[in-house]
Amino acid sequence: MASYTKAAQQWATFARAWYLLDAKMQPPGKIAAVTVRRLEGRHKPIYHALNDCGDHVVIINTRHIAFSGNKWEQKVYSSHTGYPGGFKQVTATQLHLKDPTAIVKLTVYRMLPKNLLRRTLMQRLHLFPEDVIPEDIEKNLLQEIPQPRVVPRRLDEYTPEEIAAFPRVWTPVLMLLLAIFLLKRLIPGDLSSTASISSRTGVNSG
Amino acid sequence: MVLLSVPLWLRSRLTDRFWRVQEVLKYARHFRGRKNRCYKLAVRNVRRAFVKSTQARRQKKRFLRALWITRIEAASLEHGLKYSAFISNLFKTQVELNRKMIADLAIYEPKTFKSLAALAQRRRQEGFLAALGDGKEPEGIFSRIVHHY
Repeated sequence: MASYTKAAQQWATFARAWYLLDAKMQPPGKIAAVTVRRLEGRHKPIYHALNDCGDHVVIINTRHIAFSGNKWEQKVYSSHTGYPGGFKQVTATQLHLKDPTAIVKLTVYRMLPKNLLRRTLMQRLHLFPEDVIPEDIEKNLLQEIPQPRVVPRRLDEYTPEEIAAFPRVWTPVLMLLLAIFLLKRLIPGDLSSTASISSRTGVNSG
Repeated sequence: MVLLSVPLWLRSRLTDRFWRVQEVLKYARHFRGRKNRCYKLAVRNVRRAFVKSTQARRQKKRFLRALWITRIEAASLEHGLKYSAFISNLFKTQVELNRKMIADLAIYEPKTFKSLAALAQRRRQEGFLAALGDGKEPEGIFSRIVHHY
């Protein structure tokens, strides 16, 4: 550090870096939170709102984002064309089918600070629906940001050795006995209830 | 009258009112629109500017502290610690650096900041051991408190 000239050191400190983020099986909100932090430059100790120290972020696999819960059917994106009767409401599924990058783009746009810098920062965001990135952007990439969500593995993605190595917490016979025991405890006096029902019906008919 | 210099001659030509108006307009020269030229508009806006600068002297302290905290958070996350953990553990080790100095260290002395982060992390681990260890382990070295009285 001390061997570089002051100008070269300052140039290196304030240089704009390009980061890569894989959005496969990630919730778009968490993706957006991480990218907004990088775009603003808040991950740098030299941060200042007027410094313009944000970085570029390239997000790939936006087609494979994963909403939690029933948001694919329930989340609604609204817009108005400006003309009367132009209020449009679209579910997340429909929007995603129409444009696979739109959900992440809108999420990031709405999470950025609402000032004049927002549009400039959006220009530094690069979204791609699949793995394919243009060559000139790929050459600029410096580092990959770790994914915010740990992707769980499906049962068929585990090797048989790992499944065998997993400790046995319960056996099927034990579970059956446990279930019967609990049912007996929860529903007290099975026989007495049936007897009372039969006696009542006998009284009614008689 | 013998006027020995140009400014004195100028002063004798202009009225006193001119100088009184200039006293106000000199603070308005960097404003936008007619308020940088016209006295009636300038008077109001100069007074507002002074009021805002008085209030801003209190707000500046708040803004700067928030900026320092943001910078410390960024630097401590680079070392794997959250801001709250960093500051609380630094306080517990009796390192009485204020946020301004820590932020400046984070920018200009990165190795010093790294050692501070390591200190805070070690104190944090000792705190966990003390809380979860049921008193069987010896006290941590960095958890010792020095009394200056």
